[in-house]
Amino acid sequence: MSTPKSELLLHLDNVWKIYDMGEVQVPALKGVTVEIKKGDFVAIMGASGSGKSTMMNLIGCLDLPSKGTIFLKSRDISTLNESDLASFRGETIGFIFQQYNLIHSMSALENVLLPLEFLEYDDDEALVRAVNLLKLVGLGDKIHHRPSQLSGGQQQRVSIARSLASNPEIILADEPTGALDSVTGKEVINILCELWEKQGKTIIMVTHDANLAKYAHTVIELKDGQIVKSYENGKSR
Amino acid sequence: MKLTKCLRHAFDMVVHSKLRSWLTILGIVIGVAAVIAISSLGTGLQQTVSNSLNLGGDIVTVTPGFSRGGNFFGGFGGRGGGGDTATTKVITLDRSDVQVLRGIPDLALIDTNIRDQVNVSYLGKSGKVSITGVDPKVWGQITTTTLAQGIFLDATDQNVVVIGGNLASSFFSQPVGINKMLTIQGSSFRVVGILNDQSNQIYMPIQTVYQIVTDKTVDNYDSIDVKIKNKDDLATVIAKMKEKLMISRHVTNSTLDFSITSNAQIQQARSATLSSLNTFLLAIAGVSLIVGAVGIANTMFTSVLEKTKEIGIMKAIGGRNRDILLIFLLNSALIGLVGGLIGVVFGTILSGFMPSLVGGLPFARTLGDIVSLNSIIVALSVSIGIGVLAGVIPAYQASQLKPVDALRFD
Repeated sequence: MSTPKSELLLHLDNVWKIYDMGEVQVPALKGVTVEIKKGDFVAIMGASGSGKSTMMNLIGCLDLPSKGTIFLKSRDISTLNESDLASFRGETIGFIFQQYNLIHSMSALENVLLPLEFLEYDDDEALVRAVNLLKLVGLGDKIHHRPSQLSGGQQQRVSIARSLASNPEIILADEPTGALDSVTGKEVINILCELWEKQGKTIIMVTHDANLAKYAHTVIELKDGQIVKSYENGKSR
Repeated sequence: MKLTKCLRHAFDMVVHSKLRSWLTILGIVIGVAAVIAISSLGTGLQQTVSNSLNLGGDIVTVTPGFSRGGNFFGGFGGRGGGGDTATTKVITLDRSDVQVLRGIPDLALIDTNIRDQVNVSYLGKSGKVSITGVDPKVWGQITTTTLAQGIFLDATDQNVVVIGGNLASSFFSQPVGINKMLTIQGSSFRVVGILNDQSNQIYMPIQTVYQIVTDKTVDNYDSIDVKIKNKDDLATVIAKMKEKLMISRHVTNSTLDFSITSNAQIQQARSATLSSLNTFLLAIAGVSLIVGAVGIANTMFTSVLEKTKEIGIMKAIGGRNRDILLIFLLNSALIGLVGGLIGVVFGTILSGFMPSLVGGLPFARTLGDIVSLNSIIVALSVSIGIGVLAGVIPAYQASQLKPVDALRFD
């Protein structure tokens, strides 16, 4: 299990998430166990209500499980306090959201710089990094544009650049093409594939779209808070 | 996140919500400006009062009549009064009172005065002004006013006058200079001195005034000014004067028919009144500052609510609670600081106008814009403090948002 090639990056061990809705308790995840290895491209699939958003929040350390344990790089995340968890998250996971979640009052460059500022990077180093990342996603000429001046595909590319800013091992993408048309969606997925293939990033993609899941190496299907199917596409680098 | 970065993000937040930020800032501006203007007014009043205390602190005035009711300015109106007395007999001061006062060794100078209204004309322009008849031998030594030009009255010359600065400069169609002749009640008088003040008063030897006005009895005085030898003995000398005068005038405390007031007492009473008035105004200004603080708190709560999603994003990409707390707290402090800065500027300008706004108050006319560096520093630190205080709860709330909840917020 811990051979260099398949180092365990993320481990969900019998994880439950139960939402307390006053009188009733709604279990969103029921005893999920997942192991994600370094360098894998995982698609988490499921219809709405299957618990995939909950799972994405837990994987992204945005939320803590009701029961069970989550190990990120062998660290039990429930033992970390808020601030340490935030820093750990910032260093380890880059987020790509369906609605891009850029900060509207900031330019593309400032959005990409933001995670580096939180991690207290040196100013010059951060600037070089951010500019290079925006060039990488093809927005080298638009670094001072605000999100409102960019198309959806361009905004999503800014958000990809931002997710890469702190050079995290994991890219966590939540319906990354959900708000895009098929052409720009394809461009975005191509960037993700490139990151996986060329830069060796671990990609975790949450989606309801089976076509999108085809790009992944490993597919995990969720239904009613449980894993119903887990298979490898056979697609590899 | 480094402090400088937090500060920059806080600054951007102020800049990006222009209208709301400015309205909030306006609340602080009004409060700070009011406090600055009023405290400078207070400082100015205190300075004027204490300056004038040094002048004439050894002058005591005796007037006929005794007011038994309280007076707003602490006996200010007692001078020359007689109408408030309980008796119907006309009360006067005369030579016998002067004789009594001459018998008190603590007194250095005694000046007898009468006051009236006279018609005065110069180069065809005429008007009615106040005249004061004074003892020409002592008046120059007892008055607290200084001369702008010329000399005080000449003891040997009856037909001379000293006039107030305003009467000389702007009362007539042309300025009146030294040695010019004024026609007063039909007779000609030579101007020998012009006072360094803003009054329309005429000062003339008392014997001459008796001759040109009709309603005054010779050797009856409207007031007697005395200068005491040692300022420190003021209270005991006043007591001594009162005792002697009571004996000679055959009155008791309950039938008292004269008043003794000292400049020092009048000014202390004024000072006390003005300072309590000023405290009251300052309290009102303080209330507006508190309202401004509530405005900041309100804006910050709205801002946190509005930025919930951004807070979620920041937390997802590595923002710690401490970073979020700092950004919002600094935002709030910045609003306070900007409000304070603008408030100081406005307050300083306003305090320049204050003297004319309160022109009706005695002593307030000579005020300049007295804003001390001290009050500016205090105002700025108070407004920053208010900003921080008003921002603490909203900023804490923002920092405690759970990323997963904040991200879901739309």
